[in-house]
Amino acid sequence: MKFRAKINDVGCLNHFTRVLNTITKLTKTCVLRLTVDNVYFVLSGKVANGGVSMWCELLQVNFFDEYQLEGVSSEANEICLEVAPENLSRALKTAQNAKSVKIKLTKKHCPCLTLAAELPSLSSIGRIVTHDIPVDIIPRRLWHDFKEPTMPDFDVSIYLPPLKTMKSVVDRMKNLSNYLVVEANLNGEMNLKIETDLVSVTTHFRDLGNPPWGDNAVQSQSRDVETMAHARVDIRKLQQFLMGQQVNPNKSMCNSALYIWICIQEGSYFLLHADIVDKRIIHLILLQEDVSLQYFIPAVA
Amino acid sequence: MKSLFGRAVHALSRIGDEIWLEPLQKGSVLPLFRSVATIERSVYRCEISINVLNNRVMFQFNCKHGITKTHNLRYQECEALQAVFPTHLCPNILKSQPKLLSDVVMHFPTSQEEITLSISPIKVKFKSYFEEENDHIRSVCTEMSVHPDEFDYFQVGVDSEATFCLKELRGLLSFAETHGLPVSVHFGAPGRPVSFSVEDMVLEAVVVLSTLVIAASENPSQVSIVQEAPVPRNISDVCPASTPIADNSVANISKHEGPLEAEVACVPSENSTFPLGEQVASSQGSPVFFPASFHMKNLLQLHREEMDLLRPKGMHSLLFGAVSSSMADGIASELPSLVCASDTEDDAGDDGVRVEE
Repeated sequence: MKFRAKINDVGCLNHFTRVLNTITKLTKTCVLRLTVDNVYFVLSGKVANGGVSMWCELLQVNFFDEYQLEGVSSEANEICLEVAPENLSRALKTAQNAKSVKIKLTKKHCPCLTLAAELPSLSSIGRIVTHDIPVDIIPRRLWHDFKEPTMPDFDVSIYLPPLKTMKSVVDRMKNLSNYLVVEANLNGEMNLKIETDLVSVTTHFRDLGNPPWGDNAVQSQSRDVETMAHARVDIRKLQQFLMGQQVNPNKSMCNSALYIWICIQEGSYFLLHADIVDKRIIHLILLQEDVSLQYFIPAVA
Repeated sequence: MKSLFGRAVHALSRIGDEIWLEPLQKGSVLPLFRSVATIERSVYRCEISINVLNNRVMFQFNCKHGITKTHNLRYQECEALQAVFPTHLCPNILKSQPKLLSDVVMHFPTSQEEITLSISPIKVKFKSYFEEENDHIRSVCTEMSVHPDEFDYFQVGVDSEATFCLKELRGLLSFAETHGLPVSVHFGAPGRPVSFSVEDMVLEAVVVLSTLVIAASENPSQVSIVQEAPVPRNISDVCPASTPIADNSVANISKHEGPLEAEVACVPSENSTFPLGEQVASSQGSPVFFPASFHMKNLLQLHREEMDLLRPKGMHSLLFGAVSSSMADGIASELPSLVCASDTEDDAGDDGVRVEE
């Protein structure tokens, strides 16, 4: 197994660092899947993380100037590692002004991802800083856990309001309750609700717009636009996702580079009516030019 | 000067919990200087004095709007010990702007306890050091190399390395950076202490750290602690770190592993510009300098309270000296030497160092 990659461009380096900062905020440990074309950060939904799962996909050519991979075998030409994203983001953090950053798979006292940055210096010879980040190699027999998730059969899909607004609403609601109900309809309306014995609070968002999902056109047509589909989730998981999003200060929320969908899946795909008894999952998708991030928050009863 | 003092207190506080203030004062001073920014904004003048009758040292801040804040802290007298560290005998000397060292140190996580500084004619290397095998396995290991050209002064007498505690260095570096003072590093063979120092017209600060002897090295460190009061005072003194001393007499401490204490004679650099005081030969034979006026001088010394005695290695002995330049008279008083028997809380006797409030 071999892996060597190099970033020479400061913009790519900053972008890659931002992605890692986002991943770090979402999870303490994740799987790094390296293939010839892509780099994936994967978290598979387990009880330990409250059923939350994450899939972040990067097109490697958009970040790395050099990229060489020799996977486990020729038919399985990829490498799966378990790593703590914080170690990576911390190593990158202080290398933002590096002339180049190399990442390679090495074997020190244990398998490591070694990050080497060439930094500017006062002399003609640059300073080199290396970080050996311990990783665990994931054997092939476990790879099935880390496959790309299928798009859930959702009932409603809607564009989210500006993240900053949503985050401030969710932050305040978190003080009142551990669970939040997200509901939305095909009329571009979304509500965030909390309900406790003492108080219930609802925040209404209007005119958000619904993405046109070609595949589900039939379903959309048959569904009453006003009917809300909803899912009740652990508010901290949603908050964690919102906290992790770092908006590029150069791009505004209205810019077409950033889209977010929220899909609320109800009990059954074949339900024609908004039978809001069995709620399943919220699927958040963040799409940027080079990166897509999917985050699944299961609904709780 | 007040912000300098406040910052000095801050820097020292990152090293230990107590401040040793001359003369013979001790107490918990940091809270008074907690917010350096606030002090700079609102305090015009800070006066420090002792009331021997009440056993109180008074810090009085004259602030804006006619407000005067007075803090009275109890103090405890203690015996002083001195150590001698002949920096002029160190084979390896580095001097650089504080930013260089700060830029190096920032790559190490704040949780990193110890680092190893290695020197050779072609490079200077800083690397994470892990005492326990367990820590090593799961932690990120960081290494940074700097070319000798980057240093303002670079002298390598013997290829060597020094493994010491990073926290103390960070404290001194942030102080040095704030005041733009170049930092000098003196060290020798593994196991011998390493000293980091800064100086300018009004102050000199020296942090002497004991270093680890890495198992491979055959060089056990042998040290003696010199002193008993009264003794000619040094500007910088060192506190023995990890070994309790039975009495105040000269004690020979040798250990098979790890660093400890050093025989340290504080010697200002050859081109010291202190015009005050006189040169006095120390018992070690190296010239010793001590400031003329006892009263005008502030000497700060910090101990770490929770010195782990069970840990024979690992650093931790350092101190910080600040000297005021406004010395009135040239009379050299006999100053009691500095404290420093042991840092352990278990130490009985008057050579203990305690925080009293």
